[in-house]
Amino acid sequence: MESRRPPPSPLVDSYVVPGDVVLDLSEMTNQTIKLGTGLRQECDTIQATSAGMLRLSKPNKYWVESSQKRYIPSVEDTVLGIVVDTKPDNFVVDIKGPNLAFLPVLAFEGGTRRNIPKFEIGTLIYARVVKANSIMNPELSCMDVTGKAAEFGELKGGYVFDSSTGMSRMLLSSPTCPVLEALGKKLSFEIAVGLNGRVWVNAPAADTVILVSNAIMRSESLSGIKQRAMVENLLERLS
Amino acid sequence: MENLRWRPTVNEREFIEHALQSDLRVDGRHSFDFRKLKISFGREGGSSEVQLGETHVLGYVTAQLVQPYRDRPNEGTLAIFTEFSPMADPAFEPGRPGESAIELGRVVDRGLRESRAVDMESLCVVAGKHVWSVRVDLHILDNGGNLIDAANIAALAALSTFRRPECTVGGDDGQQVIVHDPEVRDPLPLTIHHMPIAVTFAYFGEGNIVVVDPTYKEEAVMGGRMTATINSNGDICAIQKAGGEGVMSGVVMQCLRIASVKAADITSKIKKAVDSYTTEKALKKVKRLPASLPQKINVTDVTMENKGDGELETQTVKASDVQNISKGDEDHRNMKGNSPLIGDRFAKHKQTSTFIGGPSNWDPYSKGVSLSSLRISQLPDPATTSKASSHEEAQPMLTESSNAEVKSTSSSGAAGESEEAQEMGSPKSLKDAVKPKHKRKKKKSDRS
Repeated sequence: MESRRPPPSPLVDSYVVPGDVVLDLSEMTNQTIKLGTGLRQECDTIQATSAGMLRLSKPNKYWVESSQKRYIPSVEDTVLGIVVDTKPDNFVVDIKGPNLAFLPVLAFEGGTRRNIPKFEIGTLIYARVVKANSIMNPELSCMDVTGKAAEFGELKGGYVFDSSTGMSRMLLSSPTCPVLEALGKKLSFEIAVGLNGRVWVNAPAADTVILVSNAIMRSESLSGIKQRAMVENLLERLS
Repeated sequence: MENLRWRPTVNEREFIEHALQSDLRVDGRHSFDFRKLKISFGREGGSSEVQLGETHVLGYVTAQLVQPYRDRPNEGTLAIFTEFSPMADPAFEPGRPGESAIELGRVVDRGLRESRAVDMESLCVVAGKHVWSVRVDLHILDNGGNLIDAANIAALAALSTFRRPECTVGGDDGQQVIVHDPEVRDPLPLTIHHMPIAVTFAYFGEGNIVVVDPTYKEEAVMGGRMTATINSNGDICAIQKAGGEGVMSGVVMQCLRIASVKAADITSKIKKAVDSYTTEKALKKVKRLPASLPQKINVTDVTMENKGDGELETQTVKASDVQNISKGDEDHRNMKGNSPLIGDRFAKHKQTSTFIGGPSNWDPYSKGVSLSSLRISQLPDPATTSKASSHEEAQPMLTESSNAEVKSTSSSGAAGESEEAQEMGSPKSLKDAVKPKHKRKKKKSDRS
């Protein structure tokens, strides 16, 4: 372990475009730096290969966050998938990525060969990405690292819609994103957000679900203040 | 590409049907509401772009001289071609048109052909030898549901703005056809008798829940669909119901009644868009003088024409049109609820007003009059403050002009010819108009 931490890149939390040099490795020796999506090592430098915001998670993991409609699976992401096929060993799940993902039939809490869940085609599943690389089909699991169910599994009822990956991250950010906060003050609903750009909303009344989903869809390109204003507008018009 | 095809979830299916039981649609519309319709046109006539909510369709019309069919020697032909681009929907494959593509082409074609909306006999040039064959290409750019309605509107809008070259029959034997260049003779519009509008209905439940203009998700979940092509007179031009859930005849009759109401509404929207496009095009062709008009010109058609030589002989401006355009612009600013497409057009018009396209065989030293300077001349009227807003915007354009003197005389405008119309202006402007008239003529002779 090094006693001295490597100085963070000056571009952290700012926008980078492909080709930007994020770190110069010539000064650093004997240090480990983890690279996530959107970064590549070129000889002595680390360069960005996709456009987006550079992020750093201490101590030394860097990645580039960008927003798209399609999803590139990465490990430990929680996603919402749709079952498209059942095989003897896996469920084949669509997670909006370049490949279909496999969800092993035993990857459930207390899962044995005797109590395999029956998912029909079109079932919505909240799962965690366990294996992801560009060559193979990604693998999912409905258990967390300790083996507990922890909210994973089938989602019943409600309504599903698509969003961009950046929008999903915004909805999951803490402190709560403005649109959800404004909606939560007046309405009660439950929501599940997949980092792959899918959002599930459920509420006892259908019009609440419609209101919430339309408000979220519209808040894609709005700033915090505008989001709150938009939600208030919507609530007034329909009350 | 099986994994790219979108499949609805069980949740969506159940929710959409359940919400429709209480007359709620997922995008907040009512059962019989159409989505927002936006029609825009290309630079030349004959191409239109229609956005119906998320659905995006491009229509393009071309024509060529061909030999007519043997059994109809004195009629032109009309053909519809559809192109379902894979960028519109991952389910669309390039290459041979799929079933839905063929159905769409057929429905649009039937609506136009069987109802004789486009006059075919006027397309005949030499009976038995030469007729115009009109071809409509419909490109689907984005599939957001209800492609048939959007494609139909695109076809109608494109046909309404299409202009075919004028041709005369002559030559030694009286059989030779001379097609005139559009620069030499103005191209002619097609004769369109009426507008057949397609209105699509989607059925849910046991065929007792009906919605108009289904979205992509509603289409994936619906039980059946029916398209009624109907014009604003209430004449049914075509009905298409291909399989799906059965519906009671009472429901079908109700749908037809709703369709005729929607058809009238959409027809007026298309006509409005086509009219404003045609006026804008006509204005672009009109040549502007360095001098602009005084405030409110009531002269009925004072048209400006650009003759071959650089001199501007007959100075006539389509005053009524100019007035309408600038007035409409101000009205638009005052009214919020106005159709956004007109606003876009006027905004574009302002930008293009300084650029006068067209043949540049006019006097290069004369300052072309821009619409902004025309509006400036309307300024001195203190009554309407709304015109002041157009003044502020036009000001910066004015200051660009190097010759200040030209601008001072601009208030006179084509005053010589339109003196009789100046009763609206205050006496001051009349005097101003009369005096500088001589100055302007002198200047013109200096420059020419």
